[in-house]
Amino acid sequence: MESFTYVNIFETKGLEYILLICFLILFVFFVRYMNATEKRT
Amino acid sequence: MSATHTSPPVQGTFRFIWNEMKPRPPFWTPFNMISIPIIVVGMVILVYRFIYGLGSVTNLNQDYAWGVWKGFNVITGVAFAGGAYALCFTVYVMRLEKYKPIIRVTVLNGFLAYVFYAGALILELGRPWNILNPIIGNDFGYNSVLFLVAWHFLLYIIAQFLEVSPVVAEWLDAKKAYRVLYAMTLGLVVFGITLSFLHQSGLGALFLMAKPKIHPLWFSEFIPILFFVSSIFAGISLVIVEGTLSGRYLKEHIGIPEAQSRAILFGLAKGAAIASFAYYFFKLLLFLHEGHWDLLGTGWGLWYLVEVFGLTLLPCLLFALGYRHRSLGIVQTAAWLSLLGVLINRLNVSLIAFNWESVNRYYPTWMEIVVSLTVVLVEVWVFRWFVTRMNFYPRPRAARAHTADGVPAARLVETA
Repeated sequence: MESFTYVNIFETKGLEYILLICFLILFVFFVRYMNATEKRT
Repeated sequence: MSATHTSPPVQGTFRFIWNEMKPRPPFWTPFNMISIPIIVVGMVILVYRFIYGLGSVTNLNQDYAWGVWKGFNVITGVAFAGGAYALCFTVYVMRLEKYKPIIRVTVLNGFLAYVFYAGALILELGRPWNILNPIIGNDFGYNSVLFLVAWHFLLYIIAQFLEVSPVVAEWLDAKKAYRVLYAMTLGLVVFGITLSFLHQSGLGALFLMAKPKIHPLWFSEFIPILFFVSSIFAGISLVIVEGTLSGRYLKEHIGIPEAQSRAILFGLAKGAAIASFAYYFFKLLLFLHEGHWDLLGTGWGLWYLVEVFGLTLLPCLLFALGYRHRSLGIVQTAAWLSLLGVLINRLNVSLIAFNWESVNRYYPTWMEIVVSLTVVLVEVWVFRWFVTRMNFYPRPRAARAHTADGVPAARLVETA
């Protein structure tokens, strides 16, 4: 029987959590990027 | 009722409406010259379709019960109409008054889109008279998603009609009706937004039953959420496209100052950028969740990548770039690309990647395409008629439409 491994992020769905964290971080940068002009003006 | 028994004000109102129905010069514009033959041919095909049945004009078969009329006009058209509820939410709930000058025209756009695109549903029903079944049938089918969609389409069309009606009352100088209808606006808006949230996702839920038929790259249990989120930026993109086209071709009817118009468009671009950013990551998350890495190397995989990167991520980044640099050209390009992306996505789910393993593929006939175009072009004609006659855009100054014989004149006032 194939054992479950915690180091494989594909099986633990860890990749999905990482993506979600990336989204939240990138979203902040994304909005800051767009609003850069507003602050200058 | 005979004309002799009609009271003069009512008679005058009818005469006023009759006069307003007449086309205004210039009539022989390139758009009219192209659209009129298409509409005439489309109408003839529709008559033929209703006399001789679907098989006489379409390529529909037992594998493909829904063709381009549903895939394009209904599934995609309703997403494009999402701008109405998105903007109503922004103006009436979030109280962002900046967008108020375009709220009336956006609601009109949404109303006409639902009338024509949701109305196109009837074209592809083998027994169109059964359209009444969800409303008056003995067995209502409470568990059916189609039941929800049918009722929501009906209720939302009524709600949007009432939202648009104060402008019509204003046009007819019916002050009392205007006050009553205007007082209902906020309630109708809240009702309409609730309906939209549900049926935009409900359209996606229609495909949940088709898991074995839809290509795994496009099928997900979260299709309803994808449809809902994509309708937000698709609707906003259409408002941007429609706004820029109206600004070019109907500019004498629009009294929004240039600076205000640009501020509105860039604000919309920012909203579309944020919504499509969330949508892109949601697509990515679902791809990782399903884990169909092996399918990316196939032709379907390449087509999927074109949709996700070329027509979702690229417009998202262009919206952000256009907003940051205040470039109208980039924002317009992003809006067109975004509309194309949603169109391709909806067609993929409903037609292209549907029955992907079947050898008996569906390709629409030229008659189906002409009818689809007819629906769009008639909607544009009706939209143009409303916008050129009534106060859907703020007018530059108070004006009064003069007509002969004491006919009620349109009450054209500043609405900004």
